[in-house]
Amino acid sequence: MVRRNRKSLGVIINSIILLLIAACMVIPILNILAQSLTSPDRMQDLSGLSIIPKGFTFQNYQILFSNPQVTRSIFISIFLTVCGTALSLFLTAITAYVLTRPSFVGKNFFMIMLIIFMVFEPGLVQEYFVVKDLGLINSLWSIILYRTIDVYYLIILMRFFEEIPESIMESADIDGAGHFTKFTKIVLPLSKTAMATMGLFYGVFRWNEYFRASIYINDPSKWPLQVLMRQFVVLNDNSSMMNSSGALSAEVLKSIDFNSLKAGTIIVSIIPLILLYPFVLKFFTEGTMDGGVKE
Amino acid sequence: MGIRGKMKFIKSNWLLYVFLIPGLVYFAFFRVWPLIGMKLAFEDYRIIGENTFAGLKYFRMLFSSPTFLSVLKNTVIISSMKIIFVFPIPIILAFMLNSNPFRGLRKGVQSMIYLPHFLSWVVIAGIWISLLNPSSGGFNNLLNIFHLPSMDFMTQKGSIRWVLVFSEMWRSAGWDSIIYLAAIMKISPSLYEAAYMDGANSLQQTIHITLPELRNTIITVFILNLGFFMNAGFDQVFNFMNNSVISVVDILDTYVYRIGLQNGQYSIATAASLFKGLIGMVLILGTHFTSKKITGKGVW
Repeated sequence: MVRRNRKSLGVIINSIILLLIAACMVIPILNILAQSLTSPDRMQDLSGLSIIPKGFTFQNYQILFSNPQVTRSIFISIFLTVCGTALSLFLTAITAYVLTRPSFVGKNFFMIMLIIFMVFEPGLVQEYFVVKDLGLINSLWSIILYRTIDVYYLIILMRFFEEIPESIMESADIDGAGHFTKFTKIVLPLSKTAMATMGLFYGVFRWNEYFRASIYINDPSKWPLQVLMRQFVVLNDNSSMMNSSGALSAEVLKSIDFNSLKAGTIIVSIIPLILLYPFVLKFFTEGTMDGGVKE
Repeated sequence: MGIRGKMKFIKSNWLLYVFLIPGLVYFAFFRVWPLIGMKLAFEDYRIIGENTFAGLKYFRMLFSSPTFLSVLKNTVIISSMKIIFVFPIPIILAFMLNSNPFRGLRKGVQSMIYLPHFLSWVVIAGIWISLLNPSSGGFNNLLNIFHLPSMDFMTQKGSIRWVLVFSEMWRSAGWDSIIYLAAIMKISPSLYEAAYMDGANSLQQTIHITLPELRNTIITVFILNLGFFMNAGFDQVFNFMNNSVISVVDILDTYVYRIGLQNGQYSIATAASLFKGLIGMVLILGTHFTSKKITGKGVW
């Protein structure tokens, strides 16, 4: 809203710095994409600053998608993300609904509990013991259940439900609607945006989860993609990818460049996020992106 | 509402309590049970039979351990560096975006700088390992262009904390600017009109209008950050850590993970968690009440 001349020196410097910052954010990602599409024998020629692949090839992706360990881990990640997000959304919403009913008996007790949960985080060792005592070690349920309800998200959703006008709920009461009807027919439809936003956040968190999976799942055949990727890309354990590469011919195996294969793994893991990204921009940034300077 | 009124409410709204059961079960198992389990910090762990009371033994062990003290120091240093160097960037970014008159450029830049926030730390570590690779990494290529020597930043004790600072900046500066941008949008245009009439240039407008109006937002975000001071970014450190630099980046959470889950020293790890939890509690309560006092809005 600051008025200024479009062509002033300040504006030009401002634009250049902003573009440079944006470039710093995106070029490292595009360089990884370029690495993943570069043919193994040309990797030496590819500059770390380049965003254009050398000797374009899909070989890395062919190797990745013909590796049963990779495809399995992708399905596990999808399963965990879909189930985890659905469960989280449902439980967060229904709990928020109950806690926002006017004169709900027990509300104070719950609010105090929620604040305690928010203020004091239990230790990792204790959470591990709970998962172990419940017999969930090596079960995908351990990852789905450990953070089903995020306390912060629950409180945000409660604030949102509180905004729903009491008059709507009262007229539903007069029509004889029970809690089930009010929850599914009034509160949920009126909170579509909030639920979608929350679903997106839970979904991204679920897709990116690696730590709990790496401590609770010992069996590599049950690893989600992030854990496999950490083993391969971050811990530099090339064998983690090669356990089940029997399907590949000796010729292909010999020509593999592990750096470009790592780049390919990274790209595979961010494809779903890139697909979601336009929605992210729409939901979270609408207000801040359309406003700004009015000429 | 009296007891009778409460009973009546429960009777006619029993379904609400049924709705609450799954949430209750979740919180009981994953939040209350581990909280009670924290008493292990005062006990000797027994594989068979009951744990035995050990008093403050494990806290004494903790505070006489040089590793723990260096872990504590690392946590404070890394968190402080992030607050000093990362915290102001989104504010500056929001100012710059707001004062740029080209709508297309603004939108383009915004849609690029929000992206890293959504990547997992595993992916970010992968990208940065590649970026900082001493022979083929983009950053070293850039240094070479300016005739500076390549360096292996990931394995140097002198540089790894800066890698943490800059990768944190890379990930969150763009996304965190949204909250400030939103606050700037709420400032009434008439203030700027008046300043413009009085002949204030855009820098003066920023200093005398935008900054004071943003004060509350900046304070709120700052103290919220303080509340999580002891975390220092576990997921980040966990993925950027390697054996050559562990002594300077080992923080409380990575320490608890290592001695607790990897070495099986459950009691001492719990003692460290409890210590961290208590400090975290004091910080969050402190920030809540400070925030309430200054801006009228608390953490909850």
